[in-house]
Amino acid sequence: MAVPSEAPGDLPEAAVRRFAEGAFTSGLTVPDFAACLQMGLEPVGFTQGYCVMQWQWYGSSPMGMGGGFGSQWGGIRGYSETWNCPHGFVSGEHRSWGQNYEQAWVEDAWTTGFSTAYDRMVEEAASGGAHGIVGVVDSVQPLSDMGVLEFRVQGTAVRVTDGVPPADGRPWTTYLAGQRLTKLVEAGYAPVSIAAAVSSVRVWANCVTHYLTEGSNSMFASATAGSEITQTVTAQTVARKIATHRVRSQLGHDSLHGAALSTVQRELGEGDAEVECVLRGNRVRRFKEFDPMPAPRPTVRML
Amino acid sequence: MSDIQPVPPEEPPQDLPEGASRRLAELEHGLFTSDLSVNEFLLIKEVGFHPVGFVMGSSIYHTGIQTRKWGQSQELTKLTEAMYNARELAMTRMEEEALELGADGVVGVRLDVNYYEWGKDAAEFIAVGTAVKAESGVSHRNKLGKPFTSDLSGQDFWTLMQTGHIPQGLVMGTCVYHIAHRGLGATLGSAGQNVELPNFTQALYEARELAMTRMQDEANELGASGIVGVRLEEKSHQWGSHTIEFLSLGTAVVKTSDEVTLPRPTTIISLDN
Repeated sequence: MAVPSEAPGDLPEAAVRRFAEGAFTSGLTVPDFAACLQMGLEPVGFTQGYCVMQWQWYGSSPMGMGGGFGSQWGGIRGYSETWNCPHGFVSGEHRSWGQNYEQAWVEDAWTTGFSTAYDRMVEEAASGGAHGIVGVVDSVQPLSDMGVLEFRVQGTAVRVTDGVPPADGRPWTTYLAGQRLTKLVEAGYAPVSIAAAVSSVRVWANCVTHYLTEGSNSMFASATAGSEITQTVTAQTVARKIATHRVRSQLGHDSLHGAALSTVQRELGEGDAEVECVLRGNRVRRFKEFDPMPAPRPTVRML
Repeated sequence: MSDIQPVPPEEPPQDLPEGASRRLAELEHGLFTSDLSVNEFLLIKEVGFHPVGFVMGSSIYHTGIQTRKWGQSQELTKLTEAMYNARELAMTRMEEEALELGADGVVGVRLDVNYYEWGKDAAEFIAVGTAVKAESGVSHRNKLGKPFTSDLSGQDFWTLMQTGHIPQGLVMGTCVYHIAHRGLGATLGSAGQNVELPNFTQALYEARELAMTRMQDEANELGASGIVGVRLEEKSHQWGSHTIEFLSLGTAVVKTSDEVTLPRPTTIISLDN
């Protein structure tokens, strides 16, 4: 992956032993396994990397007010936008001020967790003499009631029959496997690495956002029944743009194939929220001109 | 493998219930039962096998307890052995039913664990699948003379055969691991930060690798060249969140031919919709 991190060099002893032994292991489905064999990719072993991190998705107070989870990473970096109340003073409980801001400390920690797990997986594969890793699956999951997140990256290490090992000894990686990988190569692209980035935007709601998200029929929210919640929509739009920008910066002159964008909004109450956006895809490089494929055959399926 | 070995039952169980023996005797007269779908049935016939009967094995096992240290990550070997042996018993009984039918193998094996309200700390381990026999009469039993077992579907079995591989056995590795709790000092030391917890990472990593190594050892004992369809399952069962069973499962295969006879994929346009 293009996210830089130090190679941990700390594989469990059992991992080294597993790769040194006889039978290969493959986490691919049988159709994907068969398609890889047809392509000349021999499985070396199921490979995995993990990183467990203490985690919180948002701070306890606005960055502008100081304190809170992550405040030691310094002030606001990147996107920040304030949302002022259009009503003037109403009462002490009226939210006369709101803010959207990028949570750089969450993004940095996510990148550390993901790239550490990724590097461990790549290290396992490299120790087995693999040329690449196909069918990569990653996930970020909370461990039950431990207050921590586990970053998991798994895949099947493969060797290219009669192929040359990667020049830097670091296997290439791809989320693709089987026929989808076959199609990619036939189209003239070689996998380079998976690419992934996160963005995190915290929403401190102002009065309008507060009333609209709570469904209050307040004169302070809007005169009409249906209104766009501008502050939240902006947070989502910006989060997607930041994630896209980050992945684009990892690509260099390569392309992104099979991009998948996922957005999660964690509601904190009274319009406050945390918006997390993850963009994943396959960094690919053109190595030959596209071979025209034969015309598709009309088919009727008897279901 | 390492330290934990599945302890085989002292004698091969010859303890099929009377109902099972009667059912299997009826199957020997040509009628077969199967939980295969129609497509699976056709594909299995296409590669030269036919189903001979639905087979199963079960074991109700008292998994017991094992003391664990609150602040230390460690494998709970007694629980690991219990989980291993219970599954082995269920699998062995299923294989025994398949042997009764003269089968060469069992496909579509499902291995489940069920807990009942009436049995605290007891669990039922069940293995079910469809026994198959080669139509050519050539034996396809594994190196140990037992019918091969596999959790592959009929479609996957067909595809695997086209790649020049044949299943040898459903192999598994398990590891029950206690993840240490964090002390007050460690908790306060990292308060307010998103940072790696190396002890947790190391414990989970080690446990998964142990499970996978044990699965690989089973495959090596079968003389397999590889394991396909590997999956890692994690469950805390009834032990609480800090004690987790890591179960690694896959189908050990052996290469019988270098020839891959899968037809080359072609692009299609569906005229259905």
